[in-house]
Amino acid sequence: MAEQEFANKELNHQTGISTDGSQFLTFQLGEELYGVDILRVQEIKGYTAVTRIPNTPAHIKGVLNLRGTIVPIVELRTKFGMPTIEYTMFTVIVVVVVKEKIMGLVVDAVSDVLDIDKKDIQPAPQFGAQVDVSFLNGIGKAGDKLVALLDMDRLLTDGDMTESEKIAA
Amino acid sequence: MSTDLSHFKDAFFEESQEHLTTIEEGLLQLEQRPGDIDLLNRIFRGAHSIKGNSGMFGFTAVSQFTHKMESVLDQLRSSQMVVTVAITDLLLQSLDCLKTLIDCARTGAAPDEAHVAALGGRLEACQGTPAPGQATAVPAADERSLPPGTHRFTITWAPPRYLFQRGLDPAQFLKELASLGTVTHLALDAGRLPVLMELDPEQCYLGWTLELETGKDLKVIDAVFDFVREDSTLTIVDNPVETHPTAAVSDGAKPLGEILVETGVVSQTQLNQALSQQKKVGEILVEQKVATPEQISEALKKQSECTVPAKKAETPSIRVDTVKIDRLINLVGELVITQSMLSDLGSRFEMSQLPVLLERVAQLERNTREIQERVMGIRMVPIGNAFSRFPRLVRDLSGKAGKKIQLILSGEETELDKTVIESIGDPLTHLVRNSADHGLEPPDERLAAGKPEQGIIRLNAFHEGGSICITVEDDGRGLNRDKILAKGIKQGLIAESDKLSDEQIWMLIFKPGFSTAEKVTDVSGRGVGMDVVKRNIEGLGGTVSIKTVTGKGTTFTLKLPLTLAIIEGMTVRVGQDTYIVPLLSILESIQPKREMLKSIVGKGELVNVRGTYLPLMRLYDVFRLEPELSDPTKAILLILETEGERVAVMVDEILGQQQVVIKSMEQNFRKIEGVAGATILGDGTVGFILDVRGLLNISRNGTAQAA
Repeated sequence: MAEQEFANKELNHQTGISTDGSQFLTFQLGEELYGVDILRVQEIKGYTAVTRIPNTPAHIKGVLNLRGTIVPIVELRTKFGMPTIEYTMFTVIVVVVVKEKIMGLVVDAVSDVLDIDKKDIQPAPQFGAQVDVSFLNGIGKAGDKLVALLDMDRLLTDGDMTESEKIAA
Repeated sequence: MSTDLSHFKDAFFEESQEHLTTIEEGLLQLEQRPGDIDLLNRIFRGAHSIKGNSGMFGFTAVSQFTHKMESVLDQLRSSQMVVTVAITDLLLQSLDCLKTLIDCARTGAAPDEAHVAALGGRLEACQGTPAPGQATAVPAADERSLPPGTHRFTITWAPPRYLFQRGLDPAQFLKELASLGTVTHLALDAGRLPVLMELDPEQCYLGWTLELETGKDLKVIDAVFDFVREDSTLTIVDNPVETHPTAAVSDGAKPLGEILVETGVVSQTQLNQALSQQKKVGEILVEQKVATPEQISEALKKQSECTVPAKKAETPSIRVDTVKIDRLINLVGELVITQSMLSDLGSRFEMSQLPVLLERVAQLERNTREIQERVMGIRMVPIGNAFSRFPRLVRDLSGKAGKKIQLILSGEETELDKTVIESIGDPLTHLVRNSADHGLEPPDERLAAGKPEQGIIRLNAFHEGGSICITVEDDGRGLNRDKILAKGIKQGLIAESDKLSDEQIWMLIFKPGFSTAEKVTDVSGRGVGMDVVKRNIEGLGGTVSIKTVTGKGTTFTLKLPLTLAIIEGMTVRVGQDTYIVPLLSILESIQPKREMLKSIVGKGELVNVRGTYLPLMRLYDVFRLEPELSDPTKAILLILETEGERVAVMVDEILGQQQVVIKSMEQNFRKIEGVAGATILGDGTVGFILDVRGLLNISRNGTAQAA
């Protein structure tokens, strides 16, 4: 298992190796490292301009034409209450599949694919991350790095993605 | 095992639907042409196929019931019974029952046994002679024309068990019999077969029942069995045959000869010989001086006219003309060539080649557009499919309402998107019912008004611009302006002081719960329906309009987009954002003058368009955008209409008009108020299509003020 660590750069469904959900794509938001289950990731693409959706919360960046499919894009920084920054050449959109819906997450940069054993995953502490912990599955440890593992289902299926209009004033 | 069969079952249900449609159409035509043997054959074939197929899948209720219908049809076909209105009624009722039975078979629901049995009983009762209990596996012999003096022998033969030990082969006997005449029916009796454990391969357990048509007499037949007469169970029954002057074509089953050759009963040459001896019915009839050659050729002409293919039923799959597909493949070929030319050019591009590049891009554009059109064309099916249910409906309605109604269909070949066709069936039914019940007067009233007794309902479909128009027209009494007005006031839909144009008054009948019929009938008058019609049509992006002349009739016109996937849109700009407004909802666009604008404190703004005040909606307010222009006199106002309501929507600029492909927002996100869907613009970015109704809701609920 461990020898597969970096072999999975090509982040695609088909090439994703079943790892009991213990293989994670990690990316950066500010100083912190976050991880998503690699099987959730459909692709990674460079940031391109999106179309704003009227009357939606600020963290919903807009929609994008992904080869003919309309995909909503979420600005994770805003979602997590972090200040927005200028987009750089490293800014990417991580396209994930959540409950058969395709969505894109804007992150500062992708870093690695990490193998994290179940025993190295601890429940999220009540403080210490800038994140509302309900979006976390836990904190993973890979070598000297700590990775906040995101719970995609909870993160992206809350009210503003699925239910009708709730405008944050 | 049953799961393996399931997809065949789907095919069966689909096919049955087609057969049912064929039968229904046939029965309705039969009333006009009761003597049409060809038509009867077509009906019979439909029923026969359903019977056969349902039996195969074990839907015994279906096959048994169909068998009863088939028996009646068979007697009609062989002129043992005459087509009467009563019989057609019965058959149509049975057809409905059959539909229900098939539906039950599909869903696994329990059918109404009593009803089925009652109808079955009536079907049996109406026949001259009780139907044979056995299903006919081979086309009934009546279909064939036989020279006079032919005997039909029914031979039942169970050879002795030791047959093989004597070196005899039963097949030889059967062959010999076949060589004496034509075997019209051959059935195997495997009743004596023991269980496999007890089976002795050297014993003969089988028996046969066959029907033989031959000019030879009983002695010759009997002689065939000379060697095995002892210990055989043999009965030979002689049925003299009347010749039927029917020129029926055999049904879906293979011709008997083919089967016999395949099973090795007769050889191909023997068969050909036998066939060459057969004469055509026409020739026989002329020989017998029953008919003149002229009459025969007349009848033949009629026959060829009647062989127009039956219309296809509505099914979830689409059958596409191979020509259409071939053209598409050619186009794709061209596209591939253009693409390779482009990539070739791109790999070693110099500025001097720019004109070449532009030319090829233009070619690519042509290809793409053509492919788009052709692919859309695949989804296009003739509207005749949606019309096909109306002859029956009108027949039933005229019976119930006691009116004489003639239905005239035209423009059945007009093609439109399959999904649209599926969705307009119900609204059209409502309109036709409405015309039959409210529109057309009873016969006496018609005669008193100096109109022919028979009322006419006309259904027509035609293309007009980028949309399709369907009209439902009747020559009845027309809408009663005063009555509708009075009713509208009574129901509080309008105020007495309201000044309404005729058009606005007619639109009242589309309000929920509106009905002016004095008495509620089985057919209509409950005031449910017309509002549904309007809602459905508008849901498809279409409109309904009414034209009526008192005493002369009413015409409903449905205007529908050709397809649901593509709409004609106007692209508009607000600040940095581009939106698409459905062209169908745009009445006009204006740049208002200062004096046309009024603002009412707390109520918003109004704009005076030729005497009518319309609410002014700033799109940037509703969607919270940053506009370039905030002065209406410099911006553009689009006058939009939805469900009879008008609003002026302010945008910065009109960019142009284009066809856009509608993409779902709900697929990956959720519904957004005021947005009907998304589309991909020329530059690859996403644009939103405005939903006028939704915009009105937003501005009314004042969500925009939250900003």
